[in-house]
Amino acid sequence: MFLSRWEAEKRLQNFFFICLSPGEIVVNEVNFVRKCISAESNQDDPWGKLICTNFKVSFIPQEAPPKQKSQLSHLLLGEHDIPLTCLEQVVTVNDTKGKKKVLGSNQKLKFNPTELILYCKDLRIIRFCFDEAGPESARKVCLAIAHYSHPADLQLLFGFEYQGRRYHECKVNGSTPRGGMQTPIFDRPSDWDREIKRTSASEWRVCSINESYAISPSLPEYIVVPVSLADQDLKQYSLYFTDRRIPLWCWNHPNGSALVRMACIVDPLHQRKIDQRIFTAITKSHTQRSEVIRSDLDKCLPNIQDIQSAFVKVRQICVLDPFEESEERWLSSIDNSRWLEYVRAFLKHSAEIVYYLEGKNVSVILQEEEDRDLNCVVSSLVQLMLDPHYRSLIGFQSLVQKEWVMAGHRFLDRCNHLKKNYKEESPLFMLFLDCVWQMMNQYPAAFEFTEAYLTVLSDSMWIPLFSTFLFSSPKQRAQHLMDFAKNKAIPQGEDQVVYFPPVWEWSQQFSIKDQTLFNNPMYVGKGAACVQNGEVKTFRRTKKTYSSTLRGTATLMRNGLKEGEDTLTRRGSLVSELKSEFSAVKDESPSERFFRDWFSRPADQQGLLIPLSMPSHVALWKLFFLRWVPEACIPRGGPITAYHKLSQLVDEIEILQSQLRQYKGPSPGNTPLPSPSGPPSDQRRMYFKASYPDDPATTPDFFTSSFPFTPVGNLCRRSVYGTPISKFLNGARIWLSTETLANDTV
Amino acid sequence: AFCLFSDKDIIYMCHFNGAVKGKVLITNYRLYFKSSDADVTVMLDVPLGAISRVEKMGGASSRGENSYGLDITCKDMRNLKFALKQEGHSRRDIFELLFRHAFPLSHGLPLFAYVTQEKYAENGWNIYKPVEEFRRQGLPNNKWRITFINKSYDLCDTYPTVLAVPFKSKEEDLRRVAAFRSRARIPATGGGYEGDEYQNAELVFLDIQNIHVMRESLKKLKDIVYPNVEESHWLSSLESTHWLEHVKLVLSGAIQVADKVSSGNSVVVHCSDGWDRTAQLTSLAMLMLDSHYRTLRGFQVLIEKEWISFGHKFASRIGHGDKNHADQDRSPIFVQFIDCVWQMTKQFPTAFEFNEHLLLTILDHLYSCRFGTFLYNCESAREQHVRSKTVSLWSLVNSKMDIYLNPFYTPESGRVLYPVASMRHLELWVTYYIRWNPRIRQQQQSPVEQRYKELLALRDEYLKKLEQLQLSDSSTSSRLANSPTANTSSTTSTPTQQYTHLQTPF
Repeated sequence: MFLSRWEAEKRLQNFFFICLSPGEIVVNEVNFVRKCISAESNQDDPWGKLICTNFKVSFIPQEAPPKQKSQLSHLLLGEHDIPLTCLEQVVTVNDTKGKKKVLGSNQKLKFNPTELILYCKDLRIIRFCFDEAGPESARKVCLAIAHYSHPADLQLLFGFEYQGRRYHECKVNGSTPRGGMQTPIFDRPSDWDREIKRTSASEWRVCSINESYAISPSLPEYIVVPVSLADQDLKQYSLYFTDRRIPLWCWNHPNGSALVRMACIVDPLHQRKIDQRIFTAITKSHTQRSEVIRSDLDKCLPNIQDIQSAFVKVRQICVLDPFEESEERWLSSIDNSRWLEYVRAFLKHSAEIVYYLEGKNVSVILQEEEDRDLNCVVSSLVQLMLDPHYRSLIGFQSLVQKEWVMAGHRFLDRCNHLKKNYKEESPLFMLFLDCVWQMMNQYPAAFEFTEAYLTVLSDSMWIPLFSTFLFSSPKQRAQHLMDFAKNKAIPQGEDQVVYFPPVWEWSQQFSIKDQTLFNNPMYVGKGAACVQNGEVKTFRRTKKTYSSTLRGTATLMRNGLKEGEDTLTRRGSLVSELKSEFSAVKDESPSERFFRDWFSRPADQQGLLIPLSMPSHVALWKLFFLRWVPEACIPRGGPITAYHKLSQLVDEIEILQSQLRQYKGPSPGNTPLPSPSGPPSDQRRMYFKASYPDDPATTPDFFTSSFPFTPVGNLCRRSVYGTPISKFLNGARIWLSTETLANDTV
Repeated sequence: AFCLFSDKDIIYMCHFNGAVKGKVLITNYRLYFKSSDADVTVMLDVPLGAISRVEKMGGASSRGENSYGLDITCKDMRNLKFALKQEGHSRRDIFELLFRHAFPLSHGLPLFAYVTQEKYAENGWNIYKPVEEFRRQGLPNNKWRITFINKSYDLCDTYPTVLAVPFKSKEEDLRRVAAFRSRARIPATGGGYEGDEYQNAELVFLDIQNIHVMRESLKKLKDIVYPNVEESHWLSSLESTHWLEHVKLVLSGAIQVADKVSSGNSVVVHCSDGWDRTAQLTSLAMLMLDSHYRTLRGFQVLIEKEWISFGHKFASRIGHGDKNHADQDRSPIFVQFIDCVWQMTKQFPTAFEFNEHLLLTILDHLYSCRFGTFLYNCESAREQHVRSKTVSLWSLVNSKMDIYLNPFYTPESGRVLYPVASMRHLELWVTYYIRWNPRIRQQQQSPVEQRYKELLALRDEYLKKLEQLQLSDSSTSSRLANSPTANTSSTTSTPTQQYTHLQTPF
């Protein structure tokens, strides 16, 4: 028996092939494990080896399943892999004894598990059965998984091992500084300078008083402040702010008004005086010396605990509750979770801020106790609505970098990577991504990226390899990365972005081809082309047209218009209309009037965009919340089927464009004439390539509403009709009890 | 249409904009209002057929500002209030006009469809020819035969004249069966056939509620979307209308029918009378099973066949031209069907040749009385007048097809389409139910569709340019006999050339 197993294992080694990343080591493994892919029967369940490494939980099926066609495949993670950081809860079950235990680190397990259930932060629920596995090995693997998913220290996250190795390997091959990354990181004055110039914020300057984090640990080293405030003043004011966070400039409207964010003033005695000085300085920085208004976000928006509890509820409804039972009360359950209500609240409030900046031409200060949570969401949403630059891929990434990473959002605490303090956990970034999705859903041609991109970005929070989501402040990052460089013999002065790259370096995770899934074929933006009145025009965002917005919304650059035609379509200046503040409409506030006016005109994809925040127009983000739910999967349907056609068409257009560009015209003599090739295949932006005329026009079988993800094997709830203990295993209690369980283990 | 009443000053009591001064124009087809106030542009264009109820509000002694006027309830999810001056008789005049022309049948007047003289390039009445449609389905064959037994509606007056019935059934048997069924509605194709007994039959109850429940459900839905969308607990309110739940039950019933049929079983679908639920289930199942019905013309045939010809009681359910707004026979059964179709188009954006605009147009003219298509309760009542004296809705549609076409359509004959009938995917059709809300941008087309069309135009533009370049090129190269350019037009399998050959639209 023993021998035959050994023999079998030896034979299996030919099939089993685990991909280890640099620095990755196998901690423990167990063979003859069954991965449950269906709650009803185990006929199709794959058998294989369950492995715990210092990076991930991996399942290597005995028989390689047919490769899923056209599916997003991660370069470092296999189809069945889960990064340890992505584990929310590790639950072991003994079916025969009717026992279960939620495992933390360094724990004992008094029974041999027959089953392991992994609840993941990306909403997957993965189940393994040990009916044929060695009981002792199974137990050890479970304990290892639990232990390694609760790192005692940040430096123990796998990124710190992996990036060190990767750096040295790349160094051998000779790496270029910052790679080809175009996303500004805002860790140096030039990035801020460029942003000041881009938005014509001439009355603002880059200030370096926080170099080496001399003033505040949670502010970036370089910040933008009113020209009228001297370094000395700012140093003095900083004493009165929470965490010494002086006001931060975010963005300038072409009309001169600025968006500023700041923390609260700690000392009530000085509040008035400081407020006044700050306000005066911001007013001075407005080209028209307009007034400043303040929006206190703590007073008008849900707090981080509210948001966390809403997310826990909506997650529970989407992936944990039994599908059929939850059908009947589906809508009210989603309603009661309040998730969509909060999404709406943030969109609505951001739109209100937009009204002040755009319609009233006044500067706005966003104020929040710490300026590190709600302010991140609102400031970035406001900028997305006002500035089309942030709706491009690079622009969006720079926005996250500027308003989240550099502004000191506590990613480490809010993600709870160390699983230590559940009270600090809150999915603020997720909430922001959902808000972005709502805008994208309402204006599908306005964003350069897709919902697949947003989903992949949210998943990347749970892969501990990128500097983006690992730290709670710029100072913390700097310190950890400095220590890391020392430990890994990385030469002093080397760029942190090079040795510990941010998530924006997507080639760390995906092939060039897979990255094209991020490109929205509908995008109407710079570089994209459009047709108007039968004439093909190319969008250009020239400085001249942009600055014309000084006259108000209506004059924001119009797409595809001939120069000179501009004036014909220019609508009356909104600003002057608003001056009277008169509204013929009953009970209508000036901002409602502003929105109604805006909605009565066609939307300009490259201009101001205001999302509808009526409850009927804010929807559940299905790709994110339901992608793993097999029952909710529409075979050969869903938005992907339209995306497919759009993508093919745009690819065809780009081939034609390239042909037209390359066309040199009929040339006499021997010059070779038109090269009939499109752009090289690695430069093609579209995931789906133009089809050949003979191709059958059918919907590929692998298309589902979950594309580019698959529910197969990623969400295995216990069958309601299953074993008697399935009742007490009701996921609801498991997930909801996170907090108490965490306290128990302490 | 002739003008009955024009340019009278009136105040439209807009739910959103408050009192709006303007002029009203009433014809025998529509009520038209335009604000005269430069500050607020409000326009109303309501076919009188869409009106279900007109009431006077306030009396001669009413004091409050704008409390004296008219209150109009529409079948298409909106209400309109107008205020008038108490002096003169303008209210009486308008009221009487509206009352007469919104409810012509109650006043011995003809429906507008009989008055209008519209001309279209195509005659929509020819869209559905029963024998041709049976032939397309491969009927008659060795199992089914075509019968004209009901030629003069003496077998069943609510059935069409041409029927497909089981091959072995004898005419006298059909007569015998007819005697036993409610209103003599024998089983026929579309639904299928049931034998003399329910031998080996699997009986499935679909738990779909009756017409009264549906009517109340839509009424509740209107309450939460008009004039304003319920702000607090929207989804819970939506749930309590049960509208989407009913849509789900109808869809899942149709899926069960389609599933049985596609796995080789015949299915008998029936409800008490066979003209409400049956029509919904058979037509939806057919839409799932037969890709022909997902084309623009096929969908028209489906409606003609399963709804109009098989005797859905449009006149009773909609109450065309009838003043009796509280009639218990009214019910939004057809609206519910169109909603189900819309849900399917949302789940399969490339599977239907028609777009949302067609569905909206159908629902608008379900009430408008401008076309003969949805008038009357059954074929026998319709035959005598409608085809010769009115225009078919399909005349309008087929004379301007391009605006009803879905650019994403990918024909896939033989594909069975199973939507997911789950609350996870069913959505409220906001572009229909919430379209009167001025806070929503009025869009003629879905932005995705619009963008795709723009891109198609761009592609054609580039192809044209490239072709022109190549043309001028080949003329040059023919002069330069030895130039390698001459080869570029030869057939190599580079993708680009194939495009040029295939997709150039001339």
